[in-house]
Amino acid sequence: MASVALKTFTGLRQSSTEKPHFVTQTKGNPNPQFRRRFYVAAAKTSPKIAGRNLRVAVVGGGPAGGSAAETLARGGVETFLFERKLDNCKPCGGAIPLCMVGEFDLPLDLIDRRVTKMKMISPSNVAVDIGRTLKPHEYIGMVRREVLDAYLRNRAAENGANVINGLVMKLELPKEQNAPYVLHYTSYDGKKGGVGEKMTLEVDAVIGADGANSRVAKAIDAGDYDYAIAFQERIKIPDDKMVYYENLAEMYVGDDVSPDFYGWVFPKCDHVAVGTGTVTHKADIKKFQIATRNRAKDKILGGKIIRVEAHPIPEHPRPRRLAGRVALVGDAAGYVTKCSGEGIYFAAKSGRMCAEAIVEGSENGKRMVEESDLRKYLEKWDKTYWPTYKVLDVLQKVFYRSNPAREAFVEMCADEYVQKMTFDSYLYKRVVPGNPLDDLKLAVNTIGSLVRANALKREMEKVSL
Amino acid sequence: MSSMALFSPSSHLSTLSPSSHHTNHFSFRPFSSLRTRNPSSSSFFTIRATADNGAEISGASAAVAVETPVEQKDPEPAKAVLEEQNSLAGTNGSVTATEEVEVVSKFEDPKWVNGTWDLNQFQKNGSTDWDAVIDAEARRRKWLENNPESSSNEDPVVFDTSIVPWWAWIKRYHLPEAELLNGRAAMVGFFMAYFVDSLTGVGLVGQMGNFFCKTLLFVAVVGVLLIRKNEDIETVKKLINETTFYDKQWQATWQDENSGSGKM
Repeated sequence: MASVALKTFTGLRQSSTEKPHFVTQTKGNPNPQFRRRFYVAAAKTSPKIAGRNLRVAVVGGGPAGGSAAETLARGGVETFLFERKLDNCKPCGGAIPLCMVGEFDLPLDLIDRRVTKMKMISPSNVAVDIGRTLKPHEYIGMVRREVLDAYLRNRAAENGANVINGLVMKLELPKEQNAPYVLHYTSYDGKKGGVGEKMTLEVDAVIGADGANSRVAKAIDAGDYDYAIAFQERIKIPDDKMVYYENLAEMYVGDDVSPDFYGWVFPKCDHVAVGTGTVTHKADIKKFQIATRNRAKDKILGGKIIRVEAHPIPEHPRPRRLAGRVALVGDAAGYVTKCSGEGIYFAAKSGRMCAEAIVEGSENGKRMVEESDLRKYLEKWDKTYWPTYKVLDVLQKVFYRSNPAREAFVEMCADEYVQKMTFDSYLYKRVVPGNPLDDLKLAVNTIGSLVRANALKREMEKVSL
Repeated sequence: MSSMALFSPSSHLSTLSPSSHHTNHFSFRPFSSLRTRNPSSSSFFTIRATADNGAEISGASAAVAVETPVEQKDPEPAKAVLEEQNSLAGTNGSVTATEEVEVVSKFEDPKWVNGTWDLNQFQKNGSTDWDAVIDAEARRRKWLENNPESSSNEDPVVFDTSIVPWWAWIKRYHLPEAELLNGRAAMVGFFMAYFVDSLTGVGLVGQMGNFFCKTLLFVAVVGVLLIRKNEDIETVKKLINETTFYDKQWQATWQDENSGSGKM
């Protein structure tokens, strides 16, 4: 146990050298056509497209699809963005890191709440305030997904993407090289509540951004991933109770709340979202939800449940995220972090990164793309974010595995240095190398906490109440 | 396991008078007692309980000093304490089992004051009896595992295991094992030194200045620490598998590029 904890922090230092994302792309590949000749033996120099631009379908209009479509449309690609339900409010925590606001140029009025305080609450109800190290301008944004998604879609449309209100039923793969993909979809455009019209569309490439139950992934035989189930209740609580949650989010850990994740109370626009998640004990999710509500009992007393939601959360990427000219992004690919379960930023980012690869590979929509062009997106993605995912995976494995580990985790979070590091890495998605002396202190303290908590656990096994 | 009882006011009173009586009726849970928790007026009852049952509490804390069970008290005279495990429900006379009031139990102990263990009550021969603190905390956590408690901002938990000095933990958990480990480490170290000497001709003193030998020493110490029992080898193996599992899940995408097959 102890040695694993130590590894966590050394890993955090060594591997997290994330570079600024956009600068590298053009630099690394100044002449795509020239490079391509040497790239894969099977790939020919892609032909120019005559009389039209490259056509790309983006299936799914969430953050991943919206940002992908925007980038494509800006890059001169003829873009079709499919979304089945334009006012869909997805069950989602809705937390976005600060850097997303800048990178995606989001208007500030999208953000309902600015969370500046986090409370971690251990199994024995030790509560630790995180966020004391935040600077005045720093916060975690809380958004409503219906608002964010609609905004990103509209911006894609403004840039020239065709937003289609339709449900993609089937993706037909081409038999020959460079032949188009055929999308079969049911269009609901124009009439609300109608049966819909069956239609087809030919495109040159497809970005699958259609979430956990992705049809695109099925079409390219991308394989499955393990998923966690997240359960969330939106509860309207009395105004005097809401004051407490003004800018504060709570995280509950413990075997009662979830055996491998955490329970949360997040502030939303005018209510709170209370939820929990689990991978290993999906059948017991209701029980965990009751436990979460019980732990927050006094603080949400008198609340009225206005909405109940459940959603699968991918645990790891699909075995195959790419096939031919089809690429998966966001939840469809499985880009959700362990430990924190964060997905919005990574979805939007992967959508954009994939679109950038297509724009570049097609020379702004003038040429056909091929698998090797899309591969560049995967390469870059894994290189940039793999350390982040890995660190969070190790954190989850070390600290969420048992109640003593969780106690140690909460104890550790009381440390200001830890808070600074976590918030910096969360808000800006980069890890600044810390002070080695502080790191060492942190490692020693963590091991101390873990040892103490496990010692108590051994004692607890002896006790019979 | 905690077994709960349903109390009625009459049975509550009966516990106050004859001390022999309660042995039949109450499940003993050292250091903890149940109380009814009415969310709106919980703090009120906390005060009430100490006021009403003053005599009982003094008796209880006296008993705690020699680590004997504390009797539980029902601070709310009118309502019955209701719990999942009411195995003793039948033993008390007037049981109102039909009362469907949601009641949440809260950890209670005379030594648990304002969200922490009152160290003044853990004095033994002029110094704090840390062993007793560890015992008490273990019991509390065990109890909480079975009866998760609502968190509260008015009544926060401030106890931190780091207030127990490190030697208390070592004394308690490490010493019995330390003999074995020290012995093992010494033997491993001795024979390593012997082999290195016989193979390379570098003496024990010379080895200390050698980087390679220092590394070996480190490996030996870590090995002895990690592998205390034979089962530990399996555990370490499992741990390594677990840590590389996620890597494999991520690398799956890149395998089909090399092997040509789409499957993992």
